[in-house]
Amino acid sequence: MSKSDKSPQSPTVDGDLVRQLAQLLEETGLNEIEYGQDDWHIRVSGGKTIVAAGPVATQAAGPAPVTADGSDDEDLSNYPGMITSPMVGVVYTSSDPDTPAFVKVGDTVEAGDTLLLIEAMKVFNPIRAAKAGKVTRILVNSGMPVEFGEPLMIVE
Amino acid sequence: MIEKILIANRGEIAIRILRACREMGIGTVAIHSTADEEAMHVRLADESVCVGPPPVLDSYLNKNAILTAAAISNADAIHPGYGFLSENADFAQMVEEHGITFIGPTHDHIRMMGDKITAKAAVKAAGIPVVPGSEGAVDDPAEAREIAKEIGLPVIIKAAAGGGGRGMRVAKTLDELDDALRIASTEAAAMFGSGAVYVEKYLNKPRHIEIQLLADNHGNVVHLGERDCSLQRRHQKVLEEAPSPALNDSARAEIGETTRAAIQKLGYRSAGTVEYLYEDGEFFFIEMNTRLQVEHPVTEMICGLDLVREMIRIAADMPLGISQEDIRFTGHAIECRINAEHPETFMPSPGKIGLYHSPGGLGVRVDSALYSGYTVPPYYDSMIAKLIVHGTNRNECLMRLRRALGEYVIDGLDTSIPLHQRLMAEPDFVNGDYDIHWLEKLLGLQ
Repeated sequence: MSKSDKSPQSPTVDGDLVRQLAQLLEETGLNEIEYGQDDWHIRVSGGKTIVAAGPVATQAAGPAPVTADGSDDEDLSNYPGMITSPMVGVVYTSSDPDTPAFVKVGDTVEAGDTLLLIEAMKVFNPIRAAKAGKVTRILVNSGMPVEFGEPLMIVE
Repeated sequence: MIEKILIANRGEIAIRILRACREMGIGTVAIHSTADEEAMHVRLADESVCVGPPPVLDSYLNKNAILTAAAISNADAIHPGYGFLSENADFAQMVEEHGITFIGPTHDHIRMMGDKITAKAAVKAAGIPVVPGSEGAVDDPAEAREIAKEIGLPVIIKAAAGGGGRGMRVAKTLDELDDALRIASTEAAAMFGSGAVYVEKYLNKPRHIEIQLLADNHGNVVHLGERDCSLQRRHQKVLEEAPSPALNDSARAEIGETTRAAIQKLGYRSAGTVEYLYEDGEFFFIEMNTRLQVEHPVTEMICGLDLVREMIRIAADMPLGISQEDIRFTGHAIECRINAEHPETFMPSPGKIGLYHSPGGLGVRVDSALYSGYTVPPYYDSMIAKLIVHGTNRNECLMRLRRALGEYVIDGLDTSIPLHQRLMAEPDFVNGDYDIHWLEKLLGLQ
């Protein structure tokens, strides 16, 4: 399960070191540990494959989008009934902290019903249902920042 | 100190700004349209926010979305790059009002220099030589005729709210003047929202020579020499070099100091460029750009300074680390703007890049957002790369540029690389003997 490779300068294989590193790998959940001194180094990597989020990169890994996990966006933004954010801002699921949310999962909505608010520049913009349907998934929480195109809610 | 900067731009300049931030240990937030999801500046940034669909009005010019992106990412400062919102005084003001640092001049100075009439009046009062012309806006044909008789024909009618070579009409005779005035005003109103126009003497064979300045919040101002940007097609710069082949050391020192002193008098801060037309040994102010310019790398190569870093330091209220006496110009630098367009027809050529190989070696710098397999979107500017070369003198620079252009591979698109290769072989260019009309004449002769 663990592979190791070492630079040719190392005179003997230090089995204890390799085992220690392998154990550290498992304990910490890291993918790879590299350890060295003077003119030698040893690298121990786990057998798991590393999945890159999003399309294949050259060497740069994708940055953290400020808002939600990138790989979810890939799967869901074209989902039928998915409502994506038309703007950058902060989501609020109710008109103030003390009132209940506009909608919850399972609710039936009519065209024009307010589903949530997105606040930008101190202005609250209502996001309304384009057509009637049932709310099947809510992907955001109140107070969460969203970017343009971010999946918000599914109304089927 | 500034800890996180939102880069309100795209393409090569977004990467340029990002690199300076990285080297200073400052966090980066990229903003992008949906068309730029795979763009290199988005991939390299620490964080990214999608601000809108592809059209620039909804994304890169979307002030509210960009400000909100800064708020939700907790950015301390915004660097606007060039183009887009970099010279939008309202945006600069909004940014500051939201407690975010705008990395650039004050909105007052942006506004002052954005109106070409107030700009001219302000710099003239500060001691900068200007093109002879009307004192302010002109709408009366009789007044225009009087001015034309006084300063001499031909004259050029320019939009007060314009700039960058747009919204201009030339009148060679008094008869042409009435029509030129009327048409220029109508076009200006349509293009820039204001029909105000002014009259200037039209220079026959000027060179475009501009002076780079850096000013801090503590009254210190330095000039970083000139750039010669006379090679233009339809008022768009194609190639720039520093120093100018037309100036000697004393001319350079004189215009540099005149400009520096005037900008200091105006209380300007951050980076800025004063553009002149130069003819028969005389300089004439045309406009001031209150932002970082596309061609800033040639200045960086001969001065050894990182202009983006300096802008960030200035915005963090630090004093300029250098005085005018410390500044040295070493060697010669040339920048070629490489556009995704046909080198002869100039038809835009967006699309997917196949093999990409950029030149390297001593004195070669490539500022670009391209990579193998990248798709150049059709919605934005056609400039896809800048190839900048430095040499110990102009001849060495030309040899190096010829060599570097020969190495550059951008498969899958038409590019202007062949046009630049053609320029390298033109005797006038090699001799440094050209003016702002030279390139168009060369292309017209095809």
